[in-house]
Amino acid sequence: MTTDNRRAPGIERALLVAAIVGGALAVIAGAPARATRGSVDVRRLALIVEQEEDHVTAVELANWIRDDHKGLRVLDIRPDSEFKEFHVPGAKNVQLPEIARMPLDSTATYVLYSEGGTHAAQAWFLLQARGIENVYFLRGGLYEWLEQVMNPHIDPKASQAERDSVRALARWFGGKVQIGTPTPAPSVLDGVLTPRAPNATRESIRRIRRRAC
Amino acid sequence: MAPFYEFGRFGDSASLVVAVLLGIAFGWFLERGGMGNARKLAGQFYFTDLSVLKLMFSAILTAMLGLFWLSWAGLLDLSRVYVPETFVAPQLVGGLIFGVGFATGGLCPGTSCVAAATGRRDGIALVLGMLAGVFVFGEAFPFIETFAESTARGAWTLPDAFGLSHGTVIGMIVAAALGAFAGAEWLERRAERPAAPPEPAR
Repeated sequence: MTTDNRRAPGIERALLVAAIVGGALAVIAGAPARATRGSVDVRRLALIVEQEEDHVTAVELANWIRDDHKGLRVLDIRPDSEFKEFHVPGAKNVQLPEIARMPLDSTATYVLYSEGGTHAAQAWFLLQARGIENVYFLRGGLYEWLEQVMNPHIDPKASQAERDSVRALARWFGGKVQIGTPTPAPSVLDGVLTPRAPNATRESIRRIRRRAC
Repeated sequence: MAPFYEFGRFGDSASLVVAVLLGIAFGWFLERGGMGNARKLAGQFYFTDLSVLKLMFSAILTAMLGLFWLSWAGLLDLSRVYVPETFVAPQLVGGLIFGVGFATGGLCPGTSCVAAATGRRDGIALVLGMLAGVFVFGEAFPFIETFAESTARGAWTLPDAFGLSHGTVIGMIVAAALGAFAGAEWLERRAERPAAPPEPAR
């Protein structure tokens, strides 16, 4: 019963205020730590990297997406504008700083990709440090995805079964198969060495610096 | 930085001493709060005495706000605090069994120990029953292992489940707790009123 002569209204009021203030400020503070700290088992990670169990190829990722791999979460860690231009189907856009505080599901399988692969590999370490073990990155980044899944070149000497599987995968993702060897890509230095417009130079250097990240 | 044990401030044996001291303090305050009394606890299920609800929410608010702000101040590493793992289906079944036992005996595991320590016979009976249950569960575990480990979600927290920040979840829980306190007091005041008007004096 509430009729308890041991109740102290003053203390109850102070606790009520503490709860309201503490709760309201927590909403503003958001995260319980200003710095996100994680820890890694360095040896374990080194072995995973050495055994090349840290990444997937574009074709493996494409198969996972097509086969609806259980708990698969594909994270695109490129800038928002590039994500809007093009991304792997089903991918979620996450900026690198968000990796530190985004809620994670330890039962999911995360696949990270960036433009070239470096940022994804770095984010792989960050997720490992946050305690996620099922995390992989797309080794060659979005470039590999475009080359191997969307626009694969089939060797004319490849077997029929091989051609069919490449073609089926490309078609599933709306890509197009090309027969023959790939044409060499234009050099990334073209824009820098022969700037067509001075204003464009800084922008292209910025882009090239980030390229393959 | 806390947790002290995780950061090697004291070893295994010292941690056992700390655990005993904390356990005695826990039991002492539960008893002083009247939580060794099965009648008081059972009042919860008849909406006449909601002390348990208020106590649980007070404890949750204290621990939640304490952990959050200690971590925010850099005094505590939350990643080193153990989060019990979630197994949805087995824990639903376990919660149901727990609830039936609680409503039948009027005591939960912690309070049954408190009641037994103060010499209450119902408390002693419940502690014996709990130990028997632990034994049966341990012996039967091989048969229920598949179920007990099914629907595993790992260390699953509300911020994970809802995709919200810790702060937002805390704000919601504080609001829920304050609502529960107000509701509980209202129910208790209603229960205090006599059910029928007193007979007029002749």
